[in-house]
Amino acid sequence: MVMMYDETVAVVENRPLTGGHFLLSVHSPRQAQATRPGQFAMVRLLGRSDVLLRRPMSIYDVKPSFKVARLSKTRTRKPGGYSSRLQRPEILQLLYKIVGRGTRLMADLEPGDKVGLIAPLGHGFFAEEYLPEARRADEVLHVAGGIGIAALLLPAKDLARAGIQQRLFFGGRTRADLVALDEFKPLVSGIVLATENGSRGHRGYITQPLENFLLRNRSKTYLLMVCGPWAMLDASVRLARKYGHRCLLSMENRMGCGVGVCLGCCIRVDGIGHGSYQRVCTEGPVFWSEKVIWETENIAKT
Amino acid sequence: MAKGKKQKAKVKTVSSESVSSAKSADSGFVPRIDTEIAGVHFSNPVLTASGTFGYGREFAHLIDLNSLGGIVVKGISAEPMSGNPPPRIYETDSGMLNAIGLQNVGAKRFLEEKLPFLRTLRTRCVVNVFGYSTEDYVRAIEILNAGDGIDAYELNISCPNTHCGGMVYGNDPKLTEEVVTASKRAARFPLFVKLSPNVTDITVLARAAESAGADALSLVNTFVGMAIDIEARTPRVSNITAGLSGPAIKPVALRMVYQVARAVKIPIIGIGGIATPEDALEYIIAGACAVQVGTANFYAPETSLRVVTGIRDYCRRKRVHLSDLIGSLNVSGNMGSSAEQK
Repeated sequence: MVMMYDETVAVVENRPLTGGHFLLSVHSPRQAQATRPGQFAMVRLLGRSDVLLRRPMSIYDVKPSFKVARLSKTRTRKPGGYSSRLQRPEILQLLYKIVGRGTRLMADLEPGDKVGLIAPLGHGFFAEEYLPEARRADEVLHVAGGIGIAALLLPAKDLARAGIQQRLFFGGRTRADLVALDEFKPLVSGIVLATENGSRGHRGYITQPLENFLLRNRSKTYLLMVCGPWAMLDASVRLARKYGHRCLLSMENRMGCGVGVCLGCCIRVDGIGHGSYQRVCTEGPVFWSEKVIWETENIAKT
Repeated sequence: MAKGKKQKAKVKTVSSESVSSAKSADSGFVPRIDTEIAGVHFSNPVLTASGTFGYGREFAHLIDLNSLGGIVVKGISAEPMSGNPPPRIYETDSGMLNAIGLQNVGAKRFLEEKLPFLRTLRTRCVVNVFGYSTEDYVRAIEILNAGDGIDAYELNISCPNTHCGGMVYGNDPKLTEEVVTASKRAARFPLFVKLSPNVTDITVLARAAESAGADALSLVNTFVGMAIDIEARTPRVSNITAGLSGPAIKPVALRMVYQVARAVKIPIIGIGGIATPEDALEYIIAGACAVQVGTANFYAPETSLRVVTGIRDYCRRKRVHLSDLIGSLNVSGNMGSSAEQK
């Protein structure tokens, strides 16, 4: 059942983080409550006729509003589901990095400003589809490249609730790219970091320590959940294949609409659908890695 | 202006009392904004453009589909088409480039999987038809003819993103005549023909389509453009060139609608960068009896419904019916006297 809403929502906070990253929080109860892990939002800057298209962004987290959080604290002892109802999420958070004109304009948003949001969208990390696989595995390995981290927090929370062991491999260009680590710490049994300039963790790509880890633990079974640039996805899929682990990918692409009509975000995928192409916005963004066809045409992008 | 009157006459006016009610109206004036094209009645003149609205159902959660005048579905070919490799789109200033390559499910699956839903709507269903050869177009139409609930065809002889077919037809008056004649002969439903703007003189192609039996013209498809990544020195879209759409093309498309409205007698559906009711009204005043909203559906799915409301409000304020507006451009009067410039 598709549940998406087109809403104009108010910015609650647009917090700058390191390395040109921002955490945008908007007040949007309906969208926050409908959100499932791995889904995304299409963000529209209002009042601009030069920047037309919405920007696709992973939904990083959903939270109760500050006010409600305070209220619920005083009422936690009341019987019935009252407090849990009050704690239903009302805030939707998007973690983004300035990469172009749209995100540069987003960085100027201030509390009280309005943005257009169509959300939640896409086929995300849906537990019913991977949980059996995750339970069979010894551990779930999250592999994030840069802003790809934004797609992995909600599934990590899901897995933590289900009592699944997990570990995070997170790479960026510099240490400033390694945002959101505090949120992952309570959820995972270990964090491995890499930066291209060596400013934190392993120097180089994150797939190198990942391979070392897989090599050291050959007897174990893992489920990989990967989000990041295409080259990193490609390298991760090769490793998963080489060591015999299954792998879920959260893909990115330019999108025109986010709801499946423009066919602008299609990637080459095995199986049925729209010919041999499937829409990242609708059939994805999350795909089993063996479905995606790693031709150069799919890769040479980011 | 004799020309203007003639233009009005070619659109069958829906309301017999339009003139009298316009005159006697007080604050309760209710404008009629329905329109009829080639015998197909549209409850309002706003359709969604092919390729920007899927098969309708995708937007069912976001807007009231029954409030649209019509839905023109994604181009359908006789056989399924897989489309172009990614990247397929790129945003430009006030516009976007696309080279999707007409990825579609094919005529048979359209009838089986997509049409049943469209049939449940009150909204008119126009099926955009594509082929690589005249035989392809005819074959697609022959399959689609079995589809109950289709109200009209829109012959796409103007797609700039496929290597043959499409624009090859749209560039050549002889080929245009050939494919329109054959398609018209095969078609069980009225035939609209969607023309390419990538020509020296669009009125030549418009007349060719008209003389070959087109019931109406959809003007215009996208403008061929391109964008380059200067760091990598590669095209931004895999097809190298791509179709430009969005507000950036509106003035040029509007000029073409105006030119063609003076050159043919069949109704015209105006397309190109419509994002507001004012945009749509410009097309109508230039001579279009309906419009299609395209790229705006991507970023603002409610646009078409806003355009409907805006046209109705304008007609009420001006105390006119839609039929009075079509082709009502006054070129002899006081230009620039309105303060409503955007």
